[in-house]
Amino acid sequence: MTVYLVGFICAFLVFTAIVAAEAEDILSSVITLSVFGVLLAILFALFRAPDVALTQAIINSGLVTSLFLVAYSQTEKRREFDSDRKDDLK
Amino acid sequence: MRFLRSRLPAAALCLCLGWWLWRGLFFSCCELDGPAAHYVANTASETGASNIVSAILFDYRGFDTLGEATVIYTTVCGVALMFSRSRFRRSGWGLSFIVRRGLGLVVPFLMLYAFSIVIMGHLTPGGGFQGGAVFATVTILFCIVYGSSFEASRISPKTKETLESSGALVFTLVGLFGLAQGSGFLSNIGAGFPAGSLGSLMSAGSIPLLNFAIAMKVGAGLSTLFYSMVKILEDPVEGPPPEV
Repeated sequence: MTVYLVGFICAFLVFTAIVAAEAEDILSSVITLSVFGVLLAILFALFRAPDVALTQAIINSGLVTSLFLVAYSQTEKRREFDSDRKDDLK
Repeated sequence: MRFLRSRLPAAALCLCLGWWLWRGLFFSCCELDGPAAHYVANTASETGASNIVSAILFDYRGFDTLGEATVIYTTVCGVALMFSRSRFRRSGWGLSFIVRRGLGLVVPFLMLYAFSIVIMGHLTPGGGFQGGAVFATVTILFCIVYGSSFEASRISPKTKETLESSGALVFTLVGLFGLAQGSGFLSNIGAGFPAGSLGSLMSAGSIPLLNFAIAMKVGAGLSTLFYSMVKILEDPVEGPPPEV
């Protein structure tokens, strides 16, 4: 049972990590990263490391997400740079 | 297609590493050896704390924790210095009435939770760092929901500075007490702190004191870090937007 649960969470971890790395929009990237953090916290709790799970849940889904969002709202978005990059990736 | 092909070696490497870790998790033996075995066997008698992680952080490796606290202090100083003079666009004046009332209902429970994490750091999972981070999250919620000027009027940045510095001071003073007793910097039971009975609230000697010091330091530090990033987003001349 636990092996299947761990495998399921690991698969979702990989999925959210890929989405966070490859998403075009920075905002959805940040949100996916916080989902990644919550899943990782569940995994730590399953592996009987509640201290690390607590830290991971608070830091990653609380502090890091809010700091990323503030950094996102304070920086200028350069549209021409983004479109250049999209062309480059194709 | 070129995009996929360029990522193929990296994906293969990740899969191999993942399989390796998975094997290590489920097919390895579960015997502890080295320092881990010593900690599991002797923590209760040597420190009086029932949370082994907390005992390692604040007793066996207390000096490392002081170093980590210094790292956080340096980071906060750097961010506050970097954001001290620049001015960016305005971001917001807080959220709607419903969110404000809702947060008002939640905040006492959040504070209680943070306090329980700190005060029972030597008994249950948690400790000064986690509790301080929850405190910082409460102030960040204040900043987002009510606006940063409200947050500054409730807990002034000066108070946070004092809290952070006094946390560091308490930590160092507890360490120096051990030195004055002749048993080494940050020593716990050896310096005459009472061990108490295992599992009770008043136990583990200096570990609860150090937990409180670290909670003050981390909470005030992370809160200052966020506040110094958002404080300039609001323009006091323009005034708040009309109520929706």
